[in-house]
Amino acid sequence: MPATSRRPGARAAARLALPLAVVAALALAGCTAAEPGAAPSTPKPGGTLVYATGDAEPDCLDPHVGGNYPQALLAGQVLESLVSLDDDRQVIPWLAESWTTSDDGLSWDFTLRDDVEFTDGTAFDAAAVKANIEHLQDPATQSSTGYLAVGKIASVEVVDDTTARFHLTAPDSALLESLAQPWTAMESPAGIARGMDENCQAPIGSGPFVVDAWVPQDHVSLVRNDGYHGGPADRGRDGAAYLEAIEWRFLPDAASRYAALQAGQVDVIDNAQPDALRQAREGADGLVEIDAPRPGASNRIELNSGQAPFDDERVREAFIRAVQLDDGIESLFFGTAERSHSVLSSVEPLAYADASLFEPDLDAANALLDEAGWSAKDADGIRTKDGARLVLRFPVSTNQSIPAEQSLFEQIQATAKEAGFEVQLEPLDLSSWYGALFTHEYELVSAPYTKIGPDVLRILYHSDSIVPAPSGYFANLAQLSNPELDALLTEAASASDPAERAADYEAAQRIILEGYYALPLYDQQNHYLHRDAVQGARALPTVSTPWFADAWLAD
Amino acid sequence: MSDLELRAGASPADAPRSARTREDRPRRRRMPRPSVVLAAAFVGFLLLAVVWPGLLQTAPPDAISPAEAFQPPSASHWFGTDESGRDVYSRVVAGTAPSLLIGVLATAIGLALGLLLGGIAALGGRVLDFVIGRVNEVLFAFPGILLALLVIVLWGPGPVTATVAVGLSTAPGYARIIRGQLLAIRGSGYVEAARVLGHGRARILAAHILPNALVPIAALATLGIGQAVVWASSLSFLGLGAQPPAAEWGAMLSAGRTYLGTAWWLTVFPGLMIVATTLATTVLGRALTARDGARR
Amino acid sequence: MRARRIRAIALRLGGALFVLWAVATLTFFAIHLVPGDPAQAILGGPGSQAPQETLDRVRAEYGLDQPLVVQYAAMLGRLLTGDLGTSYSLKAPVAELIGGQLLGTLTLALAALALAWVLAIGLALWSSAPGRVARGVAGAIELTAAALPHFWLATVLIAVFATGLGWLPPVANGSASGLVLPVVTLAVPLAGFLAQLMREHLLDALERPFTVSALARGETASGIRLRHALRHAALPAVQLSGWAIGYLISGAVVVETIFARPGLGRTLLRATELRDVPLVTGVVLVVALVYVLMTVLTDLVATLADPRIRTAAA
Repeated sequence: MPATSRRPGARAAARLALPLAVVAALALAGCTAAEPGAAPSTPKPGGTLVYATGDAEPDCLDPHVGGNYPQALLAGQVLESLVSLDDDRQVIPWLAESWTTSDDGLSWDFTLRDDVEFTDGTAFDAAAVKANIEHLQDPATQSSTGYLAVGKIASVEVVDDTTARFHLTAPDSALLESLAQPWTAMESPAGIARGMDENCQAPIGSGPFVVDAWVPQDHVSLVRNDGYHGGPADRGRDGAAYLEAIEWRFLPDAASRYAALQAGQVDVIDNAQPDALRQAREGADGLVEIDAPRPGASNRIELNSGQAPFDDERVREAFIRAVQLDDGIESLFFGTAERSHSVLSSVEPLAYADASLFEPDLDAANALLDEAGWSAKDADGIRTKDGARLVLRFPVSTNQSIPAEQSLFEQIQATAKEAGFEVQLEPLDLSSWYGALFTHEYELVSAPYTKIGPDVLRILYHSDSIVPAPSGYFANLAQLSNPELDALLTEAASASDPAERAADYEAAQRIILEGYYALPLYDQQNHYLHRDAVQGARALPTVSTPWFADAWLAD
Repeated sequence: MSDLELRAGASPADAPRSARTREDRPRRRRMPRPSVVLAAAFVGFLLLAVVWPGLLQTAPPDAISPAEAFQPPSASHWFGTDESGRDVYSRVVAGTAPSLLIGVLATAIGLALGLLLGGIAALGGRVLDFVIGRVNEVLFAFPGILLALLVIVLWGPGPVTATVAVGLSTAPGYARIIRGQLLAIRGSGYVEAARVLGHGRARILAAHILPNALVPIAALATLGIGQAVVWASSLSFLGLGAQPPAAEWGAMLSAGRTYLGTAWWLTVFPGLMIVATTLATTVLGRALTARDGARR
Repeated sequence: MRARRIRAIALRLGGALFVLWAVATLTFFAIHLVPGDPAQAILGGPGSQAPQETLDRVRAEYGLDQPLVVQYAAMLGRLLTGDLGTSYSLKAPVAELIGGQLLGTLTLALAALALAWVLAIGLALWSSAPGRVARGVAGAIELTAAALPHFWLATVLIAVFATGLGWLPPVANGSASGLVLPVVTLAVPLAGFLAQLMREHLLDALERPFTVSALARGETASGIRLRHALRHAALPAVQLSGWAIGYLISGAVVVETIFARPGLGRTLLRATELRDVPLVTGVVLVVALVYVLMTVLTDLVATLADPRIRTAAA
């Protein structure tokens, strides 16, 4: 008797076997295609890569001016920094070959590469470094991010052509991390001398690509720098880029951007949405993901401790215990975002996390609120105290929070209500949102902040950051004012001993987390999707911007 | 036999609107057309959704349940569920009142302003016509979205601002059409005839011009409600109108558009509601204007 | 007679200049009513941490430290010389920025207008034709078309023709194929609207005495529809062309965003968000200019198409 008729399961197994074999073959094919060094993977020079960004179009391509993430994305292709980071987030050489610091930490000597030229023919030397730092510090440059990053540099001394000596006003343990950021990258002094208008149109660097033309609202054309050599120390090869050119397109609408990628009209997109990522992870359309969370702070909700009701730690803890996030994050982000329990990004080696502080516990929340005097409830089930309702105003920037995040806030609103909080979500455009912050009309707020290293804590939680800049902006949105924390953050910023620095930052993070000043959500999401024909593209470990010097097109 | 002769002998439903209403309607009363019945039923559904949404809803429209997110349409969730597990059908029902309110109020604002400007321009003499013409042209020269953007920049985004913005931006259009209609009627034969017969200005206005202008204006208004809903949803798309989590159709549609690849039902059903509402109000409005013509 | 015509033309031009002046004035004061500091807007928005001295420098550079009336006068003075000022956000001459964007939007709007007219005439003729089915179907198409929101239509068109069938690119690519979906998106709702308007007038016209006399002269019914009635029905639609251009430029804000086309619509949206006063004023003025030119043109066409207006004007 044939086996098949005797055992019905066998036929089913046979039916399954074929698709499985196909899947396996496809998976194998996928592997070989991605494997470096395999036959189809010999880099093929030439071609134009089309990159579509969902970030805002910069007003100025020079990242010294202002200094935001969209500028960093593009500047990364054109400019180079003094130092970079490797995958373990250790500082590695780039334009600077090596560096030493004096015992008091007030003077740093950078030894520069002597074989680098900017693409306008100007030599890269110590005088160029001096010109760049001075450009960042000049108020006329209108720098914000870079200005803060080089804030402790008093002057740059040109010791000789390849030695630049930085004199600091105070020791700065974050100096190298600050210099690794694209906002402090090196530009041709002759380019800077052309004046802001021209430099904004096409900053001149020493990077793998050169700005050829900028068609506003459409694209920036970048062409290959044929004389390029070097690169960050972890690059693994030398010489010019494979790609002949990059077309850098501005495609603000997420659905259109994904459609263009699916249609093969563009090769790489940034700000990929969660459902598109899931489809890519399931192998749809031959798309490949680069998951590169941004460094610095995680995405978190700050609790404004500067005024009632959150000036009472019990109310802050009650809120954090009341909300449920994990299921919402899982379903809204399709499993592409991992819950965070730290105010620092998970890529930061000094990030300290404590999940136990964020365990939902409705009973504990209710008990805490009763204890804090919010014991009465009105008809809507909202708690009251002395006639005041327990209202939490939550201005949401629709420019900065993606739809999935806004939906998550709605779920926070729903779960917090069970404990008797009324969360008032206010979706606002950027200027109204800043307006609400400046006038302190908020109890909850979520604001991303990208910076390399744990020094971001000083910007976000030192009491100095409660004092507003002339624009009204202040970064300490939790309005955390704690002398012990201030001391720890100041000490860590000038600590020369890594162990001492790490201990300080851990202690500082414990104060922030255990005081319930912030509710961490997840890392700042930063996902790129590219067609599988794009090979060799990667995100730099510095601020997770993509780098195409070693990318090539397999078709 | 030519087309026109054919038409004159054909059933009333096939005849041109005015021919039917003037000649055939009084003689042969017939059942309303199926499209009118359908439209009336749909508008009835909408009104019920405005007055008593709870009767039509199958689930609380704001009940969040992450475990049930992104379920396709089924027997328990007719229009599926959204990213937070809320029942889309119940949210569409809940969104009827805010969505229709924007449409109706915006049209009222636009039409009132349009009637005022258009009426004065056409009937108020040359100087007023010139002045209104310039005012109207200035208003006109701000394309709809720009006027809306200016209003929104001044008052901040939101449903109220969107309503006023849509109303204002449609007003010059109404004014121009109304003025054109009134002028054409004023210059037409029967008004000339009335003038020759020695009828006074007021009488001509009341007896000839206004009744004749009423039909096209009513048609405009019915079209306008749907158009206003469409406009408001465009503002929502640009992030300037109603914002999620409001269950306004335009806001639902733009929020759902993010998930087009995963959950088509989030985009399709609110979109269909907008289209269906516009269709129904227009079909009903036409039927009403036709009856109005017959009564005269 | 000639003197009267010259006076009429002068009046028309004066009216046009008045519109441009009023638009510039209204925009200027509307934008300045908005709370917020233009110097901050210049320095990258309220999130920037620009120091006070930088703010002061910028205020002086752009004349923002002057009283509002002085700023207004300065703006009018510059406008007279054709200078639209310098964009706050892009730091480039506004005239230059707009010049670069105008062609894209005008191409889009005019192509959409042309397509809308073709579609509308076809639909109006079809829906006014005898035959219950044809009229019902055409009427339903008109109504549905007019009810479609631009961004929904664009989404559906992309899903079907770009992602689904792969016939057309989902975003602009600089060639004619990239223009197809945006133009269709803009034209279809407008066509539905225009067709309804034309049909109303077409049916009216078919009852007028000239139709009967034409029939008596032995002309065929379809000939009458094409030659006489259509001309009659097109008149209100022609008069709406100025409005239609405004409608299309409005729609361009949405369409240019979705299809990633450079153009005035996107410039305007961005400039408004950034409170870039010179750029907003510039775009509004240019759109107003386009509108004024269009109305002068349509008045002319309307006069030629309708003898009643010609006699009334004479």
